[in-house]
Amino acid sequence: MRIVVPGEMIADSPKEISYAYIDGDKTYSSVVGLFSEQDLRLIPLQGPYVPITEDVVVGVVEDVKFAGYNMDITSPYKGFLLAKECGREQFDLGDIVLAKVRDVDEVKNVNLIEPRKLLNGEIIEISSVKVPRVIGKKSSMLEMIKAATKCEIHVGKNGRIWIKGQNSATATRAILKIEKEAHTDGLTDRIGAFLKEQTGDINGQ
Amino acid sequence: MANDSEKPQLLVNGKRIDGRALDEIREIKIQAGILNKADGSAYLEWGNNKILAAVYGPKECIPKHDMNPYKAVIHCRYAMAPFSSLEEHGRSGPNRRSTELSKVIREVFENVIFTELYPKTAIDIFIEILQGDGGTRCAGITAASVALANAGIPMKDLVAAVAVGKIGGEVGIDFSKDEDNFGESDLPLAIAPRNNEILLLQMDGLLTKEELNKAFGMAFEAVKRINKIQSEAVRAVYKNTE
Amino acid sequence: MEILDEVKKDFVIDLIRKNKRPDERDFLSYRPITIQKDVLTSTEGSALVKIGNSQVLVGIKMDKGTPFTDRPKEGILATNAELLPLASPTFELGPPDERSIELARVVDRGIRSSSAIDLKSLYIAENLVWAVFIDLYVLDHDGNLIDTAALAAMAALLNTKQPKFEDGKVIRKEPMDKLKINARAVTCTFAKIDGKLVLDPCLDEETAMDARLTIATDENNICAMQKGCLGGFSADEVNQLIGVSFEKGKELRKLIE
Repeated sequence: MRIVVPGEMIADSPKEISYAYIDGDKTYSSVVGLFSEQDLRLIPLQGPYVPITEDVVVGVVEDVKFAGYNMDITSPYKGFLLAKECGREQFDLGDIVLAKVRDVDEVKNVNLIEPRKLLNGEIIEISSVKVPRVIGKKSSMLEMIKAATKCEIHVGKNGRIWIKGQNSATATRAILKIEKEAHTDGLTDRIGAFLKEQTGDINGQ
Repeated sequence: MANDSEKPQLLVNGKRIDGRALDEIREIKIQAGILNKADGSAYLEWGNNKILAAVYGPKECIPKHDMNPYKAVIHCRYAMAPFSSLEEHGRSGPNRRSTELSKVIREVFENVIFTELYPKTAIDIFIEILQGDGGTRCAGITAASVALANAGIPMKDLVAAVAVGKIGGEVGIDFSKDEDNFGESDLPLAIAPRNNEILLLQMDGLLTKEELNKAFGMAFEAVKRINKIQSEAVRAVYKNTE
Repeated sequence: MEILDEVKKDFVIDLIRKNKRPDERDFLSYRPITIQKDVLTSTEGSALVKIGNSQVLVGIKMDKGTPFTDRPKEGILATNAELLPLASPTFELGPPDERSIELARVVDRGIRSSSAIDLKSLYIAENLVWAVFIDLYVLDHDGNLIDTAALAAMAALLNTKQPKFEDGKVIRKEPMDKLKINARAVTCTFAKIDGKLVLDPCLDEETAMDARLTIATDENNICAMQKGCLGGFSADEVNQLIGVSFEKGKELRKLIE
């Protein structure tokens, strides 16, 4: 793995790689990212959130209309939740809602489904490109944080994270640490040690 | 152009006022990611130039009538602080010069950013000249490229920029304010280092075709070095967090 | 934007009720403060101050000017604030809005009332005086811009060098004398959130505050005050905060010396 920057050549033949582009017979990175030569994968280290189908996001109700709700999903594009997708549930301005992206049409309307209101929690926002690290392989990282802090946590693909529970401050610190160190190796072990140290203190009181 | 009676000797034995050779650029330092609220940022010192650049977006396009359904629109502001000059206190707010520079700088970035990835959005680029000593538009472009990369905005290249031209009868590079005021010609260039494509080109004063090509050569060499400093700055953000 | 503010506001009020702040500070303490003086060589004086994540750069220029007709024997002090659009998504391009005008005027009043600068000493000749331009450049906005800007302005004034005036021209060459500064005005800004008083509100706390009070003090006097937002203060509260301002003022003055 190495850090590449925009315009840096990552393959001397044309290769289809996300976040890279082909010019002539070579392939170049278009972002600052981690590039793995072995599996020809480029993971951006920073960047905006652009929703795609099946993403689970944490939104905030921004406008209430007859047909449904406009939702802020920390993206340049607004989410829209049709009232008929909500069953009997109604939402108010400022409600925090977990929802799934059904589709994004060609004019970038983001249609949301399966809403669920999240109540009495805290919200933190991180860069959406770091979300895979917070979740970890097969959800391992997230499960570890949940187990150690006994918090209920919902991680939106959009980088907005909802946390509820007694040890929410510890969970928040662990997640911000992951965001800061997302590009480093051995992260799971370090977060594990961090959680042990923090929650150990709490139990020892 | 300043009064001729005050004209200093710009070249003595092939060396310039500050001791540089004709093809030598001033020292450049760049730090990326120094602002808290912006999506991407960079602080650059280039000789006595001190410049802050920041990027917001892609975000919802305001005003709405600017919106393009096929690609992101780019807004660019180049501005000089009223205290940025060694001489008297300047006026704040846009003037004809800063408006023109904002336009030509914006066009540089419209070329390299993959704007078609973010239809209906806007990307705002802000370049604030805190202290100016010649070559601020080039230094500003160099800083803004780093801020864009720091924001994770997909683009073809880290654009680097430098001015070339003629002082004391010789072709040279990267003029300070004094050299610029009393030199014969000034040719600011922004270049995509990957393929040497020229993305900004302005000129005033006189140059022959031979001189112009010599100047291009100097610029292409310098841009390689500037690009290296830019990439290091973009990477450095991820190296100090162990 | 406003909707998210509402969410943050509830979060802050909830914490304040539990006697906590978002960054776990005491109610009457500042975030970490750093001060760098003499950061720009193009100016006669400059300083970059950070309070937490807020950053203000101040540049001071001195020029010859024409005195105001009602004060023909006095120099000019002009303070201007720029809320740079790169500092916050809520700062927009265009002419100065009410926020930047209030910021500039509050900082100006503290310095002016404290007589930090003796304007009479800036008289050069008939119809000719020195003008001192203080430009407050907000680079990063995370709350309490008034204290950040006021501290930067005072720090910059303390290292300002006065150019010479010879043969009708301003000469900006060493050696130059330091501009004489007679007092050190500093401000302390408090927010009232859910009835409680906190010093140095960060941006999230500002979105939750009902009222804001800025108190400028020099070594001996209160030299300016400004209340902001909808809420009010009792005289007792004001008195309590004045006491805190004199205490904290001493610490702030030490930082800029």
